[in-house]
Amino acid sequence: MRYKFIEDLTSDVMFEAYGKTVEELFVNASLALFEVVCQIKKIKPEKSINVKAEGEDLKDLLYNWLSNLLAQSEINELFFCKFDIKIKKNSKYTATGKALGEPITKEKGETVVKGITYYKFKLEKTKEGYIARIACDI
Amino acid sequence: MKEKLKQISDVKWQIPLGARERMNVPCIVYGTKKIIEQAEDAALEQLTNVACLPGVIAPVIGAPDIHWGYGLPMGAIGAFDAEEGIISSGCTGFDINCGIYLIKTNLEKQEVVKNIRPLIDLLFKNIPSGVGATGRLKVTEQQIDDVLVNGAKWAVENGYAIEADLERMEENGCIAGADPTKVSSLAKKRGRPQLGTLGAGNHFLEVQAVDQIFDERTAKIFGIENKDQVVIMLHCGSRGLGHEVATDYLKIHAQASKKYNIWLPDSQLVCAPAKSNEGQDYFKAMKCAANYAFCNRTVMTGWVRETFEKIFKKSWEDMEMQTVYHLCHNICKLEEHEVDGKKRKLYVHRKGATRALPPGHPLVPKIYRSAGQPVLIAGTMGTASYILVGTEKGKESFYSTCHGSGRVMSRNAAIKKFWGSDVKKALEAKGKIVRATHPKVLSEEAPEAYKDVDEVIESVHKAGISLKVARMVPLGTAKG
Repeated sequence: MRYKFIEDLTSDVMFEAYGKTVEELFVNASLALFEVVCQIKKIKPEKSINVKAEGEDLKDLLYNWLSNLLAQSEINELFFCKFDIKIKKNSKYTATGKALGEPITKEKGETVVKGITYYKFKLEKTKEGYIARIACDI
Repeated sequence: MKEKLKQISDVKWQIPLGARERMNVPCIVYGTKKIIEQAEDAALEQLTNVACLPGVIAPVIGAPDIHWGYGLPMGAIGAFDAEEGIISSGCTGFDINCGIYLIKTNLEKQEVVKNIRPLIDLLFKNIPSGVGATGRLKVTEQQIDDVLVNGAKWAVENGYAIEADLERMEENGCIAGADPTKVSSLAKKRGRPQLGTLGAGNHFLEVQAVDQIFDERTAKIFGIENKDQVVIMLHCGSRGLGHEVATDYLKIHAQASKKYNIWLPDSQLVCAPAKSNEGQDYFKAMKCAANYAFCNRTVMTGWVRETFEKIFKKSWEDMEMQTVYHLCHNICKLEEHEVDGKKRKLYVHRKGATRALPPGHPLVPKIYRSAGQPVLIAGTMGTASYILVGTEKGKESFYSTCHGSGRVMSRNAAIKKFWGSDVKKALEAKGKIVRATHPKVLSEEAPEAYKDVDEVIESVHKAGISLKVARMVPLGTAKG
């Protein structure tokens, strides 16, 4: 399973994402986020943009990566459906990669995600790989 | 937490000190027994978390539309001393200056009902909405800074509204002290294409008819003359710009909370000391986002008037489409309040809560000053909305009251329970026309997913923190 939505919040949306590697976790969390934003299954990876984020640790990096995807989606007026992400650790953690999608159309939109929150936010290493829990304010 | 509530009156409840460890002040929740029964325990617990923060002033308030939010619940007010307290991006939330704009008309319900379908269709077309919606105007880099500093004044200067509209707005549609250098370029980039857009989710544009007037004198002062008079309500916020300001400063405040050793009972309550750079920078950036939202709603008002002119073949002036009031319900403000008999400056955080000033208050527009500040309460698609008025008794709640009905069912649960097409049919059977970008929005926002707005209003009315003036029912709604 790549991700699943959790019934926890009255007004908002929470999901868990999984990955054997940290890159796979980031890709799956990004996919889950855009399943909230748009009808992701109807989106084609026609256009590609570069996305970058930095963080003090992996948790911080995931928060910044997802927040930046929301901003880039609006600025580039794209709904994303595919992600290609590389993560490096130097003095800070850095995620660089591509987000692919198609121009925003009213019909394929779902919900405005106002932001990624710190509520019950977690990123953990497990026996199988990695798990993250993310709550979105919508 | 609910078992710890002490009943003070029919509609007033206290969460006493000690309900959780480290509380500095008690909390007060307003609501009838039914409202309190519906309130989530987690939302009440969130009030007590806020009561632990430094410099908090008694009491932390829960309005009857309280529901779980991030950090501070929705329908809540947290006030902090301007010297010893904090400013919290977490308490204000993501949608800075989400608010309501109400326009009146001299049209009667019958005349509008005859044209409601083409009217809603044209409003839906003319007012951009939906996820990632971009506006009909593209502002330049220089213009966006002007918007952030001048708020609704920018809309007036650019021909979307008139000077008289500004007189009927909270802060005259522009909060002084906004500093665009405190707003990231990413936030400005998000804001530039979105000025003049409604967004999605619970944001809407609704044509309503007055169905009850409770206080004829005050209603008349506000321009509400008779039953069946048609008004237009617009509910939206600061769009991507405000979301980015919040996101940017949540990170800064997360660092600041560590730097200044502020103990946080909930990580979403990140904040900074009120006098620190991190606190003041946020305050200046938040004002920019608030001004963007004031401008955003005012620009759309211009298009609402244009649309009415096209449908009813009269000028908006002939239809007397004046602003009733324009207010915010997600904001942090520096205000003067009486605390233990002394006037003190406080940072008042209202999240899903409305300022409600009493008669005679200098910040109430002159034309309304004898009555008090109009308070605009949005119901849901199928239910009523209200105009209330602020009172002197509101002093006990930092002159604040509720903002809407408040959810009782999660969006996911609503989507599972209601089909969008069924919601639309049920509303249309009652003569209420709805246009939305897609049916899922209608499922999420089904009237049954919300508390009974009439019960919410009864609670604040009985408590006396704001009083009923008029009730409106929807004729047609355009949603993002």
